[in-house]
Amino acid sequence: MSQPRVFLVDDHELIRSGIRTEISSHVDIVGEADEVDAAIELILEREPDVVLLDVHMPDGGGLAVLCAVAPCAPDVRFLALSVSDAADDVISVVRAGARGYVTKNILGTDLVDAIYRVHDGDVVFSPRLAGFVLDAFSETSTGPSLSSIDPDLDQLTPRERQVLRLIARGYIYRDVARELDISIKTVESHVSSVLRKLQLSTRHQLTNWASERRLN
Amino acid sequence: MTRSSTGAVVGGVCAGLAVRLGVRELWVRIIVSVSVLFFGIGLFVYMSAWLLVPRWGEDRSVAQRLIGARRESHIILWALLVALIALLALGDFAKHWTGAASWPVLLAVVALVAVWFGASRDERSHLQDVVNATPILGASSARGWRALVWRLVPGILLLILGLTTLQKLGGISAGAFHAVVGAGALALGAAILLAPWWLDIVRDLSRERRERVRVEERAKLVAHVHDSVLQTLTLIEKAATSPADVVRLARAQERELRQWLFAPEHVAQREDASGTLAQQLRGIESDVECEYGVTVELVVVGDCPGDARIAALTAATREAAINAAKWAHVARISIYGEVETTNVSVFVRDTGVGFDPDHVADDRHGINQSIIERMASHGGRAVIRSAPGDGTEVQLSMSLSGVPA
Repeated sequence: MSQPRVFLVDDHELIRSGIRTEISSHVDIVGEADEVDAAIELILEREPDVVLLDVHMPDGGGLAVLCAVAPCAPDVRFLALSVSDAADDVISVVRAGARGYVTKNILGTDLVDAIYRVHDGDVVFSPRLAGFVLDAFSETSTGPSLSSIDPDLDQLTPRERQVLRLIARGYIYRDVARELDISIKTVESHVSSVLRKLQLSTRHQLTNWASERRLN
Repeated sequence: MTRSSTGAVVGGVCAGLAVRLGVRELWVRIIVSVSVLFFGIGLFVYMSAWLLVPRWGEDRSVAQRLIGARRESHIILWALLVALIALLALGDFAKHWTGAASWPVLLAVVALVAVWFGASRDERSHLQDVVNATPILGASSARGWRALVWRLVPGILLLILGLTTLQKLGGISAGAFHAVVGAGALALGAAILLAPWWLDIVRDLSRERRERVRVEERAKLVAHVHDSVLQTLTLIEKAATSPADVVRLARAQERELRQWLFAPEHVAQREDASGTLAQQLRGIESDVECEYGVTVELVVVGDCPGDARIAALTAATREAAINAAKWAHVARISIYGEVETTNVSVFVRDTGVGFDPDHVADDRHGINQSIIERMASHGGRAVIRSAPGDGTEVQLSMSLSGVPA
């Protein structure tokens, strides 16, 4: 299989060069950008397979890049990369179309693995993202839950919850499959369906949710 | 003798005189000021010196320069004429108002006009600064002369009205009405004249306050960055030969900085043992990472306030996490806490060497006493799943309903 063509978006040169060193032997890096406008232009021009997208950047951050590129280039897949602990930012990026979220201290091999997964159309749920999503759908979470703001949001099925919980507990897909006695493919389809549910509800409601949570 | 250009308050006459006579500037200023009171002698002397004595570093005096320029000298002559007519016409009124000083005052005004037109560019900019710094003139000249006229005319008229009305008090028509009108007009006039100056002072004060707050904020930030980030960087430099120490330091600093940036409220409450479940778990995360040099991936869904049962749960969690860090031989362990409506669970998982739970060595009391029994005594449950070579997961759950044990 040919190497996925990867584009880096991060406003910190140090982080970009770190990532480059870690993944360059496994993927084909076709370009990088350190600001939102340049990123949008270059991504549309080069149409990479996977964009590694920093969530926090000046001028709107990863969300701005996603919102500008996603409608024009549906084949470009995004993997959000961040040091952020703010659930709302991460959930926003995922809802806007990112296929996954990993933290920047991820091991190089795991990052390469995640890029290949996203390239193959799978979804990458780090434990932390699973926690954020469970929190967003939860009835007992600290802020107002996503479901109470967004009536169109489909609730998670018990099975999807189980899968997310195991991921949050640190299980990789293979372990989740073994634990629940299902195939890895089924795990992947559950995770994809969670992502679809998140992305289906409208952006307007998402903003409401994010701002209300921030007020709390 | 020359007029001073550096020590000048207005024209530099006093400072220049002080240098010439070798006495302190302050005494010259006092003597000149006092002599103004005697028929305006001081004023007359001062203005004459201003006109006739060249400024330090300039070869010609104001008067010499004026004589050389036709247009300017015409203006001065006209000004002198207008002043004389004004003095004669308003003679009685002016004497009444300012007494014997009215002649010197008006002559001084003419001299000022002369100085303005005769001054060198350098001196003129100095005078502009002086004007800008005076209470009434300054604030308005910065905003344009039209504003000054609008304010000066009604202000001075009201002052005169107030003064004359008050003066009548002593005469035949003494009465409360005049007193009130006079005092009111006086106050209003003074307010109109001084308002911009006063407003400027208030504005300056609030700007100063804002500035101070900003400086304090910055000092706080600098202090924090210094105490945490810079110190850690120094430590990392020193520990460069020991990768484990570098990783531990970097992780600890990252976590602290992250907390400070994203969740400042937790920083204040961290020390408190009775914090919420999430706060206590974060404490465990940082302690275990610091002490054992492993990475702890902590995920918490929901939160609940701490009580005796939560304390038992987190104590068991700590024990399980320390066990994993010590015995599993892995770089990363996961802690997951979830609060549901009736139940709190915590999972501590590693993918390390594992062990056979049925054959725990006697010297490892941790599991039995610190985890299983502690949970049981508070009505909770602990399940340990492990197999050699297949990692370990400690599952802790505590019911939230019912009376705490």
